[in-house]
Amino acid sequence: MSLFSSLQVSASGMAAQRTRAELLVENMANAETTRTPEGGPYRRKDAVFLSDIQSSPFSAVFQNEMGQGVRVAEVVQDDRPPELRYMPGHPDADANGYVAFPRMNPAEEMVDLLNASRSYEGNVAAISAVKDMINHSIDIMR
Amino acid sequence: MLDPLTNGLGRYMDLLSARQKLVASNIANADTPGYKTQDIDFQFEFMSLVKGQTPQAIHPDGMIEKPDGNDVSMDREARLLAENAIRFNLASTLIRGQFKSIRDAIEEGKSS
Repeated sequence: MSLFSSLQVSASGMAAQRTRAELLVENMANAETTRTPEGGPYRRKDAVFLSDIQSSPFSAVFQNEMGQGVRVAEVVQDDRPPELRYMPGHPDADANGYVAFPRMNPAEEMVDLLNASRSYEGNVAAISAVKDMINHSIDIMR
Repeated sequence: MLDPLTNGLGRYMDLLSARQKLVASNIANADTPGYKTQDIDFQFEFMSLVKGQTPQAIHPDGMIEKPDGNDVSMDREARLLAENAIRFNLASTLIRGQFKSIRDAIEEGKSS
């Protein structure tokens, strides 16, 4: 019972880290985006994680499940004011010739991305350890 | 002949899988703000509880909290992950040995 639910917990961790990595990549791709459907420059996004009970409703009735997975609770926007660059020839320049660019630090994004990738690997390691344990318990029957 | 040892090993493996689930949960929540490391008191659970009862999750002492309130130590979890897997494999090998000796006894009896 317990081992298969551990797989679910680790899978939730992988999904959450993947979502976070997608947002970070989206941020970097839009580092120079000055036009968005909402108007104004692109605003960087980040994921907020929340721990979450991972169990099927059926088994939860019979036992108080321990161990929690994780999920992305919300995607927050960075509300720091945009960076103004003096580019009078730019089509999005204001009356004074300044263009609003997203305030973004590539180093910050890269460090976060590295972090997400490492955490993802941690979850993969947990899955393979648990998979090994499941295989060994199946081997008892051989 | 089979009961006392295999029951103990069964309980041991149950506890190890419960603990492994907590380790998986700690790793999954390594970046969750405010999350606290979970573990079980292995010795206590093994000695005191009857088989099948769900062990109690506790918060281990001496964890260092990060500014976001999370106190998961990846090094500790990696160690426990490997340790639990090895202990579990050892227990399953021992149980297989038990079964094998019984099977051997049956087989040998047949051939005489």
